[in-house]
Amino acid sequence: MTTGKNSPAQVTFWGTRGSIPTPGRTTEKYGGNTPCVSIVYDNNYIIIDAGSGIRNCGLELVGSGLGTSENPIDLHLFLSHTHWDHIQGLPFFVPAYVPGNSFVIYGSPNKERFLESILSDQMDTQYFPVEMTSLAANISIREMSDEALRFGDLAIDWQEQVYHPGGSVRYRITVNGRRIVYASDVELDQIFFPDEKTEETERLAAEYLAFVDKADLLIADGQYTEEEYKTKKGWGHTSIPVLLEIAYRAKVKQLAFFHHDPQHTDKLLNELWTKYSPKYHTADPPMHIFWAREGLTMPI
Amino acid sequence: MDKEINPGETIIHNKNVETALNDDQVSMSTMQFSRRSLSTQVTITQRAYLEVFGLKNYPVGVELGEEEMRIGRGDDCGLKLPLHGVSRQHARVYFRNEEYYIEDLESTNGTYVNSIRVSRCVLRNNDQIEIGQAKIFFIEERMRRKSI
Ligand SMILES: [Zn+2]
Ligand SMILES: [Zn+2]
Repeated sequence: MTTGKNSPAQVTFWGTRGSIPTPGRTTEKYGGNTPCVSIVYDNNYIIIDAGSGIRNCGLELVGSGLGTSENPIDLHLFLSHTHWDHIQGLPFFVPAYVPGNSFVIYGSPNKERFLESILSDQMDTQYFPVEMTSLAANISIREMSDEALRFGDLAIDWQEQVYHPGGSVRYRITVNGRRIVYASDVELDQIFFPDEKTEETERLAAEYLAFVDKADLLIADGQYTEEEYKTKKGWGHTSIPVLLEIAYRAKVKQLAFFHHDPQHTDKLLNELWTKYSPKYHTADPPMHIFWAREGLTMPI
Repeated sequence: MDKEINPGETIIHNKNVETALNDDQVSMSTMQFSRRSLSTQVTITQRAYLEVFGLKNYPVGVELGEEEMRIGRGDDCGLKLPLHGVSRQHARVYFRNEEYYIEDLESTNGTYVNSIRVSRCVLRNNDQIEIGQAKIFFIEERMRRKSI
């Protein structure tokens, strides 16, 4: 796969499961690893979230001869938030142990505790045998400012998402006029269809629609079926019909359902795809929808 | 790898991963027969195929091996698709870490898995690959069976 200038960016799903890893026969198609997505363009390596999927991401990099001490690279990891399923893979990310690699970790500045202490506490010897200080790469942890970040032709901007316990961040990567949005861990139902509309919900809805507008790829939380959502209101995740409606309203071109519920088997996700995709596939304009699966790389 | 496909023909490659389970002289007291005699008769067989539809006088099946299989219009492709919209070297299927992957070879019209354009994708049983006008199913079988 080429990733040079003017070729498409390559988006890879390394983990698509929400909450907890779910290995086993019933989840092998869509995968059991928790969230991690990489975006590679013209030697820029962007990773979003460090769920258990980041382990395979690191192994593949090193396996291809990159991020090794002979061939060090610059890696940029953006965290949506620090719930466990989004950081638990970090201690297993091999390039972080390789001297010479530069590894910058970005997160929200609006946390009660510094991002650095949250991440290093996860590697306290009571929880993990290796301390964060032993990661041999050149690691820096940055709380983001409002300004968009630039890496060559690639730009990243972000917004806070409030309807998730403790909050989370959504990211938008713009490259070659194309837009990839990662917006996991948010309950859009509470923003777009609240019990009572307020100025605040109206503002949040408008902000969301503008951020994901005409995205070439939207990677979004669509954890619950319509049925399940009835008993999971307020848990911080979106229901499938709401995500479909909002994404279509925003003229999204490809929609990847993400953060799959741990109880959802391959069979169920296949059935959901069969149920919902034809309507949007044949709509005018079409929106291509799919349930994100581990081991899939898309040209965007 | 250089095989022309005839309608209805199944090409068998040399892939047949057989793992004979082995256990030295262990017999289980509660069973009528030793574990060894049981396990030596069991083999695990893994087989994978590509089944092509959408062509006149097809389907055709190609069994996948551990070597890479090229798909395209070119004569040197293991799966030759003389069709509109198919590049000379369109895609390849390869076996790594006990999994099959499909990778697009920068084809003009793209490689699709379950209607999504992919650069690369791990293949799972019943995945539908689209290359030009051809629809190709990836079929994988894993069997534990008693050998005779
Ligand atoms: Zn999560
Ligand atoms: Zn969360």
